[in-house]
Amino acid sequence: MIIPDAQQLKLLAPSEMRLIHAGALRLLSQVGVKVSHEGIAEKLVSRGAQQKGNRIFINKNMVDSALAETAKTIQFDAPDPAYGFTLNTSENQVKFGTGGQALYIVHPDGNGWSKRPAVSDDLKKILSLCDQLKNVDFVTRPVECDVPEDQMDVEKAKIFREYCSKPMNVANLVKVEYLDKVLEIIGNPAHVSFVISLVSSPLVLDTAAGEKFVALLEKDLPVAISCCPQGGSTAPFSEVGELLQLHAELMFGFVLANVIRPGAKVLYRGIPITSNLYTDGSPRWCQPDCIRRVAIAAQLCRFYNLPCCGTAGVSDEAEPSAQGLSEKVLSWTYEMASGAQYINSALGMLEQVMSVSYYQYVIDDIALGIVKDNFKADQSGEISKIAKTATLEALSHFGVAADEKVEAEIDARIRHIENALEPYDEEYIDKQLAVIEKAVNQSGGSTVFMKSARKGLREGYIYRGNRIDAPLNLTAVNKRLENIDGLTKF
Amino acid sequence: MNKDELLNALENSIIMGHLDADDEGYDGTMEGTPGTLEYTEQALEEGVEPQKILELFGRAMEEVGKLFETDEYNLPDMLASAECVGEAMDILEPKLQAGSSSQKGKFLIATVKGDLHDIGKNIVATMIKGAGYQVKDLGIDVPAGDILQSIRDFKPDFVGLSALLTTTMIEMEQVVKMIKDEGFSDIKVFIGGAPTSKKFATKIGADYYCRDVMDAIHILEKLREAS
Ligand code: B12
Repeated sequence: MIIPDAQQLKLLAPSEMRLIHAGALRLLSQVGVKVSHEGIAEKLVSRGAQQKGNRIFINKNMVDSALAETAKTIQFDAPDPAYGFTLNTSENQVKFGTGGQALYIVHPDGNGWSKRPAVSDDLKKILSLCDQLKNVDFVTRPVECDVPEDQMDVEKAKIFREYCSKPMNVANLVKVEYLDKVLEIIGNPAHVSFVISLVSSPLVLDTAAGEKFVALLEKDLPVAISCCPQGGSTAPFSEVGELLQLHAELMFGFVLANVIRPGAKVLYRGIPITSNLYTDGSPRWCQPDCIRRVAIAAQLCRFYNLPCCGTAGVSDEAEPSAQGLSEKVLSWTYEMASGAQYINSALGMLEQVMSVSYYQYVIDDIALGIVKDNFKADQSGEISKIAKTATLEALSHFGVAADEKVEAEIDARIRHIENALEPYDEEYIDKQLAVIEKAVNQSGGSTVFMKSARKGLREGYIYRGNRIDAPLNLTAVNKRLENIDGLTKF
Repeated sequence: MNKDELLNALENSIIMGHLDADDEGYDGTMEGTPGTLEYTEQALEEGVEPQKILELFGRAMEEVGKLFETDEYNLPDMLASAECVGEAMDILEPKLQAGSSSQKGKFLIATVKGDLHDIGKNIVATMIKGAGYQVKDLGIDVPAGDILQSIRDFKPDFVGLSALLTTTMIEMEQVVKMIKDEGFSDIKVFIGGAPTSKKFATKIGADYYCRDVMDAIHILEKLREAS
């Protein structure tokens, strides 16, 4: 689907994005990234980086070259050629995929929903199901296999080969030495891409991930560089602070990618979510504060003309629900309007990427269709209008009639998503850079950011609204699943 | 400031989670004013009984617990207070008379090899320290051998292991086995992290599975009552 320019939302002005970029460059050149992988450190130094102890400092020229060199088109082919597509940084085409590496399967048990650990058989069934869902454009590995660690990569590749005819993203490799074998099983390297969580926030290269990154890029395979800081625990609680850190970590990834292979096929996957500091520190994926931050990350990526891997639709709810549905619709809408081109984790996911459900895949396929229809029908270019109408329509489709309270809640969430709570100016950016630098240099890890989050928490940086609770009518979903063998049995 | 006022200020600084003069405290405005560490030192200098200070720490944390339960306090508030007590204990500990030691026990904690997730582990370490246990945190990606070496050196009563990946939780089994094989069977092993469960704990011979940090603290308190 193509999202026209008129429907491209601008949560930040170009000058504000330039300030974030400049702040990120300061982090890279003054605070640096901790790199314990000697080979990678050497590569970076040979291209102009400075090294002090185990910290590597990246200069602006290196970032500029990486921005210029990164591949601007990436081809995703598929076993069924009809599903192949090209991502082009200058186009507003958006594609949706699954995601996750979830641990659990959520299924009805007669009295509601229960969950059990996911097994290889689930991977097979989910891939078969996704082959039939209209709004699944590509498939990112949704669950792992229940085989010993050193068989994982091979087993997963075999299942993908047999059950998936769409572009495949097998996400991470458990063991890099199995890469050749995985490619051999898949049969055609053009069918497969990967996700690597390269930097552990704040500003530390994950050595094992670095090793895999090198191996994948040496083979010219597409890799989404994933960066998922948790505002309030591994990054500043402040939106501005978290974006500065996220963008610096991703720019480091792009520099490294182009050092390994100029013109690397790498995607910017920025997921600046927040930690739920009201309760237990668990991640919030689909709340208005996160939707806003993730949308801004996509906008930053497009502003710098990089291939954009989005993330949307990861509900925080543990089971299919009206609340979860409302979260997902808002999240898809804002990610689509922000220019994301390859949206991961968009279908099936529940409980902060911990669970998936066959039922949720079908619900999401339908609801995503509703969102797309609303984009097509809209003439005004007002994203808030599309967001609200699509949410109400999706709820109504599953039997939830919206009253005034529900409408007011949706309005409040949209307001939180669309309005900045913090200033984007140099003085404030300086303050946030100091918070990051302090955390990098202090022991205490994630609790450093948590403690400095107290003020922001009281100022409402993370949204605290009302739930939308009502039973969903899943008759149509049930019927759909009954037609596919084995999917309604627990 | 007389002694009573000083102790009040100390108790208040813990409740407000104000560590020291460098710390911005509860609402971002407390930088530059003395906090828990300064008041603890001052109280000791002025001859307040260490035991009395210790009791004050307990009272203050109880109050913080109540504020958290009634939703007036959020997680970072509780962590800030726990850190105040944890760090002030480092000052107080050497001053406590042998026998009347604060020692509730020693807790060694680590995220196992191959795993870099530490947000939950850090919360657990801070809170347990704040509850009065001596905590040694080995960090992330810690090989079984290093854990064992630390057990020999630190002589903990409890070992806590964290894993967030299905591929690394298996490492816990190794660690538990090494602990038992080396004859440290008195040590109670706690495990936690998303993919772990009570069933898994039983399977690998760990003593306790903890859903969250509160779970761990309750178990520790129960063990103390029982002994
Ligand atoms: C944040 C996060 C990250 C961050 C970690 C940052 C950090 N410094 O910790 C980053 C982005 C770096 C990361 C990286 C990866 N991650 Co990760 N990550 C998460 C995420 C979203 C949240 C975890 C978290 O912090 N929770 C909040 C804390 C407060 O909760 P907690 O950890 O559960 O801890 C509480 C309790 O469990 C308990 N507890 C925990 N430990 C202990 C120990 C003791 C002794 C006790 C008593 C209690 C206790 O008490 C804590 C406090 O209440 C989870 C998904 C999720 N929803 O949990 C995925 C998740 C764990 N990650 C996952 C994956 C796959 C990865 C990567 C492999 C990604 C990749 N493709 O490269 C890498 C692996 C890196 C590595 N080698 O470890 C998967 C694991 C799936 C699986 N089948 O194993 C998950 C489930 C997400 C998913 N579905 O894909 N990740």
